[in-house]
Amino acid sequence: MNQFGTILKFELKNYFKNKVFVGVTLFIVAVIAVVIFFPKIAASFESDSTDTSGESLPVMLIAADSEDEAQQIKEAFASAFEDYNIQVTAKGVEDIKAKITDEEAECGFYFESPVSYTYYVNDLSLYDENTTIADQVLQNVYRLNTMMQNGISAEKAGEILSAQINHNVENLGKNQMQNFFYTYIMIFALYMVILLYGQLVATSVATEKSSRAMELLITSAKPTSMMFGKVMAACIAGLTQLTCIFGSAFLLFNINKGDWQDNQIVNSIFNMPLNLLIYMLLFFVLGFFIYAFLFGAVGSTVSKVEDINTAVMPITMLFIVAFMVVIFSMSSGNVDNILMIVCSYIPFTSPMAMFTRIAMSTVPIYEIIISTVILVASLFGVGILSAKIYRVGVLLYGTKPKIGSIIKSI
Amino acid sequence: MELELKNIYKNFGEKQVLTGISLNAKSGEAFGLLGRNGAGKTTTIRILMNVFPANAGEVLVDGKPINYNKIGIGYLPEERGLYPKKPIIDQLIYFAQLKGMKYAPAVKSIDKWLERLGMSEYRNKRLDTLSKGNQQKIQLITALAHNPDIVILDEPFSGLDPVNAQLLKDVVKEEINRGKIVLFSSHQMNYIEEFCDNIAILNGGKVVLQGNLHNIKRNYTRDKLIVKSLTDIEKILTNQGVKSEKSVKRLDSDTLILELNSPDNKQNVMKMLTEQFDIDEIKVFEPSLNDIFVEYAGKQV
Repeated sequence: MNQFGTILKFELKNYFKNKVFVGVTLFIVAVIAVVIFFPKIAASFESDSTDTSGESLPVMLIAADSEDEAQQIKEAFASAFEDYNIQVTAKGVEDIKAKITDEEAECGFYFESPVSYTYYVNDLSLYDENTTIADQVLQNVYRLNTMMQNGISAEKAGEILSAQINHNVENLGKNQMQNFFYTYIMIFALYMVILLYGQLVATSVATEKSSRAMELLITSAKPTSMMFGKVMAACIAGLTQLTCIFGSAFLLFNINKGDWQDNQIVNSIFNMPLNLLIYMLLFFVLGFFIYAFLFGAVGSTVSKVEDINTAVMPITMLFIVAFMVVIFSMSSGNVDNILMIVCSYIPFTSPMAMFTRIAMSTVPIYEIIISTVILVASLFGVGILSAKIYRVGVLLYGTKPKIGSIIKSI
Repeated sequence: MELELKNIYKNFGEKQVLTGISLNAKSGEAFGLLGRNGAGKTTTIRILMNVFPANAGEVLVDGKPINYNKIGIGYLPEERGLYPKKPIIDQLIYFAQLKGMKYAPAVKSIDKWLERLGMSEYRNKRLDTLSKGNQQKIQLITALAHNPDIVILDEPFSGLDPVNAQLLKDVVKEEINRGKIVLFSSHQMNYIEEFCDNIAILNGGKVVLQGNLHNIKRNYTRDKLIVKSLTDIEKILTNQGVKSEKSVKRLDSDTLILELNSPDNKQNVMKMLTEQFDIDEIKVFEPSLNDIFVEYAGKQV
């Protein structure tokens, strides 16, 4: 136990004295600070510049066979496309094309009839919704005209068309729209930290082996203390880093809360419920340990630092697959599909899968307990197995031993 | 204190590495563990240090199974290496603490050793800024700082210049005089001869020769004479009395080695030679440890 403490302290010092570790943490905090302060910074710049609206609006051209029709459509469009400077051109299609390619106008409509048109645009953007809006406006205009032609008064027709349906949503479980973003961020943080620190554990073991410091270490300390000390140090370092990053983000957000009132996504991220944070911590620690043990065991089987990447590949792949399953299930909107339910009980995938399910849907408490118990039990199993592999691995030099021969020598 | 390894067996998988090793070393004594590469020296040392257990056999201290919490062991491995990127003092303290020392006594002891080995100026430097010999001195401190009862030195002299080698010799002698058990493993026979009272030669996982080095040498038949003469060497070679002995061989321009028909002739022949010729030196030939080693470990078992 004494040795474990010594090793833990030594390894922790390695992390906290490491310039890269400190630098990266500070850098991420700085980036978050810039993002959160952005509205303030942007506002201070905007107040200096004079308002030049109207002239700077992009030009939208409208052409039709008759001037009247074009005018009528322009009026109808005016309220729908407030971001555009709408102009009628009499010269027809060729003029629209020419002006768009010369970048004098951004887009243009040519109407063959009141119900059919061609939309011209230079680069069709992924988010271009102009045709959808135009369709809606034109549909309304067409309906209004037809009703009026059939003897319904303009007021009556307007009333019919603008009838509003009132609806209320009462959510009894979780709101996926709100949860999606912080779950995504948490899962991603989990993924990054486990993979990153797992690699660091493996590298640290292999470095001790390749520098032959292991020759002395193995005679001075128990392999189990060595391995658990390393893994624990990595876990504390990872948690500290996460706390620094999320803590400072939370603090900065609260200072600038006023600037973000209108942004629902950002607000939802920082309004994460506390119990979810506790689950996050639980699954982070358990998931971290189970992978870090594996990384440590694998690190002990290689003699050269260069060989680590190939050696840890199977673990990394396993972890990426787990991550993929979770992310795809999240974006499909159905986090309670069969695959996710199965994954939330398998020890290597459950930290991410179960956490996602808890965050984005309603999971009965007994399922959470079962999953946690399985995870903790396999954590012990993996820990013992890894310590045994480590014990054998650290003394083997030369070619990377086969899994079979390691298991045999255990 | 008496350290005893009793009938140690060890195999890795199907490979039998040690077959019945028994050794015996006492306090205030240096013990030489010899053997060719792959003879099982490192495995023996690792079992002694409890890195892995033996398949059979015991490690005893004063007749009782060794208690690793009480008996301190210091080790200078043959494959040297510490943390190259770390300040020297940090890692020395780390290793001393791993060996069970508290922080303050560890610092005190390490500073004392740095001073003793003339390394104080490097205290806060990174290890990889040091030369190989100096790194080795730092590594030596990891073996000695925690004041162990048993000191195991594996090839301690390799890579040291004569001045540093002398410093190390003095340190080792001090440790022996302080009542430590010093276990030496080396291929440099002259150092073993200088320090070790008792030796064991391993070959193929077995002890092929063990005992007091002095006695081992004495046990060789004393039937060879080394004769040195600056002027008369040619005359001795042609002398009838000399020729009648078993064999005579010239070693260099003024020495020869004379093998007698029987050890009993020794006195007469010596008397004859000193009376008839101008002899500078005459003595009974004793085999060097090198000769003994080649004889016993030469053939791989």
